[in-house]
Amino acid sequence: MSEFIVFFLHGLAYAGLLFLVSAGLTLVFGMMNVLNFAHAAMYMLGAYFSYTLVAVTGRFWPSLILCPVLLFVAGALVERFLLRRVHVHGHLHELLLTFGLSYIITELVKSVWGNYPLAMNVGGFLGTSIQFLGILYPVYRIFIFLCAVLVGLAMALILYRTRLGIILRASVNDGEMVNALGINVPLVLMGVFGFGAALSGFAGVIAGPLLTTYPGMAHEILIDAFVVIVVGGFGSLGGAVAASLLIGELQSFGVLLFPKLSLALVYLLMAAVLIVKPSGLFGEKQ
Amino acid sequence: MILQKQAPHLSIATLFALGALVPLVLRQYHVNMLTEIIIFALYAVSYNLLLGYAGLLSFGHAMFFGTGAFAAAVALLHIPGLSLWGAIGFAVAMTTVTGFAVGGLLLRHKGSYFALLTLAFNSLFYAVATKWQTVTGGDDGLSVTRPALNLGFATVKMAAISNFYYFTLVIVGAAMVFCWYFTRTAMGQTVLLMRENEERMKFLGYSTNISRLILFTFTGAVAGLSGAFYTLHFQFVSLSAVSVDMTTTVLLMTFVGGTRTFWGPILGSFVYIIIQNYLSDITDRWPLFMGLIFIFLVLLVPGGLSQIIGSIRDWLTRKRTPDEPAAEKAS
Repeated sequence: MSEFIVFFLHGLAYAGLLFLVSAGLTLVFGMMNVLNFAHAAMYMLGAYFSYTLVAVTGRFWPSLILCPVLLFVAGALVERFLLRRVHVHGHLHELLLTFGLSYIITELVKSVWGNYPLAMNVGGFLGTSIQFLGILYPVYRIFIFLCAVLVGLAMALILYRTRLGIILRASVNDGEMVNALGINVPLVLMGVFGFGAALSGFAGVIAGPLLTTYPGMAHEILIDAFVVIVVGGFGSLGGAVAASLLIGELQSFGVLLFPKLSLALVYLLMAAVLIVKPSGLFGEKQ
Repeated sequence: MILQKQAPHLSIATLFALGALVPLVLRQYHVNMLTEIIIFALYAVSYNLLLGYAGLLSFGHAMFFGTGAFAAAVALLHIPGLSLWGAIGFAVAMTTVTGFAVGGLLLRHKGSYFALLTLAFNSLFYAVATKWQTVTGGDDGLSVTRPALNLGFATVKMAAISNFYYFTLVIVGAAMVFCWYFTRTAMGQTVLLMRENEERMKFLGYSTNISRLILFTFTGAVAGLSGAFYTLHFQFVSLSAVSVDMTTTVLLMTFVGGTRTFWGPILGSFVYIIIQNYLSDITDRWPLFMGLIFIFLVLLVPGGLSQIIGSIRDWLTRKRTPDEPAAEKAS
């Protein structure tokens, strides 16, 4: 029984991380209709920045705030000076651009930090374990899940309870009209892209101590985040929550129950969803 | 007009003749490299039929390249006395089936969604290849030896690279010509028009979904053929053949060469492999260099190198015949 609880909690922690990554991806896609292939590369940048910051300052907390800010700026710059330029060439070019960016970021990371895994310790209270329900469980994994819940709630509040949220949702429906009403839509979109980047950076900082930091981490999480989006439905925040939980638990219990199949389980789920409900569990019909 | 029509045939014949003569003056190292270039050129041509002609951005073309490469190796290892033709035929058959199955599942989606799904499926193929060690050899890969080529009236040993080079030139070259021919058929034109205005093609009574599936299966089979030659060339196949990196490679080749012409990807594979061979001696970070070229082209020259060459040619011809610039455009 205690083993079951441990694996369930592991699943929750990974689900939290998956949600943090896929929420930014799905938000940017929903708002700007851009599938950001560089999202996971930004996540990786977050992890590496945080590694260096922790190495310099010896503390984990500052990077939790500083890295997302850095990535927000980077994301906003990418949107303003690169993405906006290729927008006129159409969809294909936006995809190619973000893909090229992710390629370059990965290569840069390899040349700056090296092509090998870097381990990191959080230290302090986060680095300890606590006892409950008859098990000893690391605080850090609980912290990840709580972060994801907080971010999810904050996003939902902003989107559905504030003036900014109304502007955002209106821009999706009719950007031209919102623009005509005196709102600087290009600026809003720049902010959205930056926020997506910041979110992925935040996820990267959090992922660093959990999974090790290495150049392949971007690709690994990208595939899982894509599966989350496919299963949950494109552009749906609620779908991202449900699919993250489903895939987090599937990954966790897959390792426990079918160790040989664990890699394929996620893909099988994706293929099943594609056949039964191609628009995803919570997606609107295409 | 007649000259116009014959021009492609002439240039194809010239290329083949050049290809046949070149090994006489090159060293073995360069013949090796040229073989690799020809194989990757076919891979890039098949990719461009999707990207350039159909406007389908796939991040999973390596599933077919890898399936073809592994199918050829597995067939050679497990079927004793299998001929060269048998191995290649098996690889093409396998990738045709794979292309049909994957295409049937993924082509219901378009644009970003399609791109995302192809990447996910490429990862699925990679995961399967990693885990299915009894067949793929896992991390160790598979080593094979090239069987001799049986032409019916004579048998040619394939161990020497120069012999294999000529075999590659003829078969892979023929496949490329066939791809070019395909773009000229009614089917190829349908695909092209679908990219421009799918709605209209539907109104005209074309079944766009079926046309797309046929094209996808065809490009899969062609990529599989190039994959089989990849295995035969290196006499070894590892997991990298089916990895997403192999898709990245073909995407870079195709885009650097240019997606708007048929010959762009061929040029791209030339440039890519030459850069890879010479730059990798100087620096380990040559992929970064490739990535920067790629971004530069995406931002400023979306038509790739062939667009640059095309505009240079336009500029030159315009200077010589200033009287009839309109005629140039019309042709």
